[in-house]
Amino acid sequence: MTLKYIVSPADRILVTGSSGFIGVKVVEILLEYGFANLGCFIRPSSRLDRLKERLEQCPSGKNVELIKGDLLSRDDCRKAAEGVSLVLHLAAGMEKSFAGAFMNSALATRNLMDAFLEYGQPKRFVNVSSFAVYSTLNLKRGAILDETCPLEEAPQERCDAYGFGKLKQEELVKQYGERDEMPYVIVRPGVVFGPGKRDLSGRVGIDTFGIFMHLGGSNHLPLTFVDNCAEAIVLAGLTPGINAETFNVVDDESLTSRQFLRAYRKKTGRFSISIPYPVTCALCLLWDKYAKWSNYQLPAVFNRRRCSAEWKGNRYSNRKLRELLRWQPRISMDKAMEAFLGQFEAKSR
Amino acid sequence: MLRIAIIGCGKVADQHVGAIHRIPSCRIVSVCDRELLMAKQLCERFHISECFSDVQEMLQSTHPQVVHITTPPQSHFQLAKQCLEFGSHVYLEKPFTVTAEEAEELIEFAERRGLKMTAGHNYQFTLEMLEMRRLAKAGFLGGKPVHLESYWSYDLGDISYVGPVLGNPAHWVRRLPGQLFHNIISHGLAKLVEFLDDELTEIIVTAHQSSQLRLLGAKEVLDELRVLIRDKSDTTALFCFSTQVKNLNQLRIYGPSGSITADIIAGTVVRKENRAYKSYLTYFLPPLKDAREYLRNASVNVINFVRQRLHQDFGMKELIQRFYQSIQGETPVPVPYREIILTARLMDQIFAQIYTDNEAQECHNEVNRVHSDGRLPVARGGITDRTRRSASS
Ligand SMILES: NC(=O)c1ccc[n+]([C@@H]2O[C@H](COP(=O)([O-])OP(=O)(O)OC[C@H]3O[C@@H](n4cnc5c(N)ncnc54)[C@H](OP(=O)(O)O)[C@@H]3O)[C@@H](O)[C@H]2O)c1
Repeated sequence: MTLKYIVSPADRILVTGSSGFIGVKVVEILLEYGFANLGCFIRPSSRLDRLKERLEQCPSGKNVELIKGDLLSRDDCRKAAEGVSLVLHLAAGMEKSFAGAFMNSALATRNLMDAFLEYGQPKRFVNVSSFAVYSTLNLKRGAILDETCPLEEAPQERCDAYGFGKLKQEELVKQYGERDEMPYVIVRPGVVFGPGKRDLSGRVGIDTFGIFMHLGGSNHLPLTFVDNCAEAIVLAGLTPGINAETFNVVDDESLTSRQFLRAYRKKTGRFSISIPYPVTCALCLLWDKYAKWSNYQLPAVFNRRRCSAEWKGNRYSNRKLRELLRWQPRISMDKAMEAFLGQFEAKSR
Repeated sequence: MLRIAIIGCGKVADQHVGAIHRIPSCRIVSVCDRELLMAKQLCERFHISECFSDVQEMLQSTHPQVVHITTPPQSHFQLAKQCLEFGSHVYLEKPFTVTAEEAEELIEFAERRGLKMTAGHNYQFTLEMLEMRRLAKAGFLGGKPVHLESYWSYDLGDISYVGPVLGNPAHWVRRLPGQLFHNIISHGLAKLVEFLDDELTEIIVTAHQSSQLRLLGAKEVLDELRVLIRDKSDTTALFCFSTQVKNLNQLRIYGPSGSITADIIAGTVVRKENRAYKSYLTYFLPPLKDAREYLRNASVNVINFVRQRLHQDFGMKELIQRFYQSIQGETPVPVPYREIILTARLMDQIFAQIYTDNEAQECHNEVNRVHSDGRLPVARGGITDRTRRSASS
């Protein structure tokens, strides 16, 4: 069965970010697929309860090696990359500062790729990126956003440290692919949701001054349930013939922001106010103008680039994912929403 | 046009670049980081033309007049010396150096070469600190302060910073003599030092680990610190650093005839005259006066915001601008060298008591023991000979 994959169960696979929200699922699915020669990279400070629980539940989980370190250390990367054939690289900088995000996304990736090329037996490096790298500034409202869409040219102007880190990370991966012929695949998940992540995506709205401002209106959300997304990442690591390809990950069935928020509010009883897109747009422009005019007395966190990327509203396609990886969501949207909402206490009446 | 360079392109460098961009007549000519990619990302985002991974190469090819050093403290001494040797003035982020000895040597070296230095005590230059200083100078306190209190809180809530620090004993913060305290407390101490004599006659330190930190799992890191200080002329000072008290960054000065509280978080300066009121008026007038003070502060802040004077990074911009002015020969250095050295000496003293002295070691052991018997561990020690000497020199 495993012949159809580029690695065999004996090959060593390294998963970074393995204790994270998506990482734990990726490890679980790899085990389910019969790949147990796994190295799970974790930081000494990582919370391991979820990962350990999953490993204990799975019979082959006891063979999995937890490798403690920091991807910012070249020594730690070497330790982790020794003999590795496939890297599923999920670790990322979630910091608010540009330098912090850059360090833990781009710099960490550079260290890991160097170590992989030198000490591994490289068959593929799967770089988990994000929709945050896209710019929809020149995309019409409602137009399809797919893998061919332009990338953000001015992440600093968008005031998006995370997106900046992910863009630079992708740049480096492509550079290593071209210059060092490192086999790679890029996976860009949309909004990943599921139990274990309680915060609503910024695409739905923002929680500020104790009020939830619903900004997503009737936009479709690029949702992907965590199990579905994790399986897409695993398939991107295993499927032959897709070198240097990029895959967007969204589930088949989508929900609008309003539908998503309604279900969430029904469960949690949270209050929200809706702001129509033209108003959001005007407020973002105004904020941006004031920030620039006042020499950044207010940080330009609301601006036209962000407004367009998060709240303009596009449609999303997973055609490439389905066709080349033969991926299909293992969990339907109904079940996914049930699992997601299950983590919240029901509102008290 | 002053030519500026930055060494160390981490988070703090961004803040420096932002502040420098708001100052006229200066230009960032180059940035340098041992990790070239870090230097490149800063250059790219702020359109700076030259980036380097080698300090000497940067100095020689871009000839900066001022170098800002925003690297981990262990590298401060050597990098600052290298820049001073080259002939550049140096802005050194806090903590200025790892030890007071290094601070003294650097300042002496800079003075011998006719160059200037400053420490990154930017919280000394926030609007409320400037106003407090003005009031103190104008005599509102009615004489030398009798007592000072500096509160500095640090929220462990965002563990993206402390997580890797706590999890990794090799992290540079963990290798500082004062560990977590070393990287944070100089802001709060510098505020006290401004109003204290050079000669400190008593320093009593107590430190322990909060239960929150214990849950995060770093045994030997302490995060709650109280220091009681007395100087030669009997001004006393209390320093409280806490990760458990949230949002409290204040300096309180009590003088013979009045007191002032500067709140760095609320941006307020509250004055209080030491006067008594007759009978029940003592219950009515002081609260009303306090209310008036806060109202005044709120309106000052609104006006300053509208006039774009109130800026979240005002302190850093002000400090940098004053430093540049001092270089151009117009004014004295913004942070007097006396204060830089005294802050460093005080830190040495505190860390010696809690981390290395035998007595402190006992306390440290007690820290690990305390949780079973519930007692608060206390490290006590009068001033050591080393401080007496350094204080009187
Ligand atoms: N969640 C989403 O909606 C979403 C959407 C699109 C793309 N993605 C991408 O999917 C990947 C996983 O996301 P997630 O939601 O699972 O995030 P997460 O839960 O925050 O996981 C990120 C992981 O990266 C690790 N990490 C960060 N810096 C590291 C370093 N220097 N060395 C070693 N490990 C480091 C973290 O370790 P600690 O546990 O020690 O902090 C954490 O386990 C990321 O690449 C993210 O950009 C996520």
